[in-house]
Amino acid sequence: MSSETLRAWRESRGWDVPRMARELRKAARDADQDVAAHHGLVKMIPQWEQGHRAPRERYRLLYLKIFHDAAGDPSHGLAAGTGLAVRIAEARARAARLPGPGQISALAAAALARPRAAMTPAQIRALAADAISHLHAAAANLAELSALLGDGDGEPGEGTP
Amino acid sequence: MTARDDQIRQLVSELEAHVAEVEARVAALKALLADGEPPAENNP
Repeated sequence: MSSETLRAWRESRGWDVPRMARELRKAARDADQDVAAHHGLVKMIPQWEQGHRAPRERYRLLYLKIFHDAAGDPSHGLAAGTGLAVRIAEARARAARLPGPGQISALAAAALARPRAAMTPAQIRALAADAISHLHAAAANLAELSALLGDGDGEPGEGTP
Repeated sequence: MTARDDQIRQLVSELEAHVAEVEARVAALKALLADGEPPAENNP
């Protein structure tokens, strides 16, 4: 597994590094294994994800236990799972960068205030309303996705309606 | 591939589409502010 894969797996769940550390320790406890202390894992995880260090076998196995077993399907290919995890992480990251409804409304208001705007006020309002409508739909998708994946971080950063 | 995988892929596709729609409209609004002309492809 590559460093990028480790990061993509973590981000696909919406977990920060401390949460990843907790999950690794939990998986280790379940398997009756000893692992580094929480603060040690919090330091090591970014190093693994950035490729500065490679995780030892016991940690690689814990990652597989957390992310592969959670797929719930023995035929679930790791490569396919990784591709989907990356896609989910990217979609979530894009959603998190979206402006919120208030910011979209403010953009529209500023555009309406410009005397040389190339669109009619009605068109500008419709543009903003459509953007906010899609934002709500994206938030609903994120929430449903989080419920399916069993994690709690499904909200876009500022775009949560 | 399980039904759950299919459902996740479908949701991600929908999410990507909605995010793209928001991005396009926000870009159009920003273009209005920048120079008074929205990009044609971002003007639904």
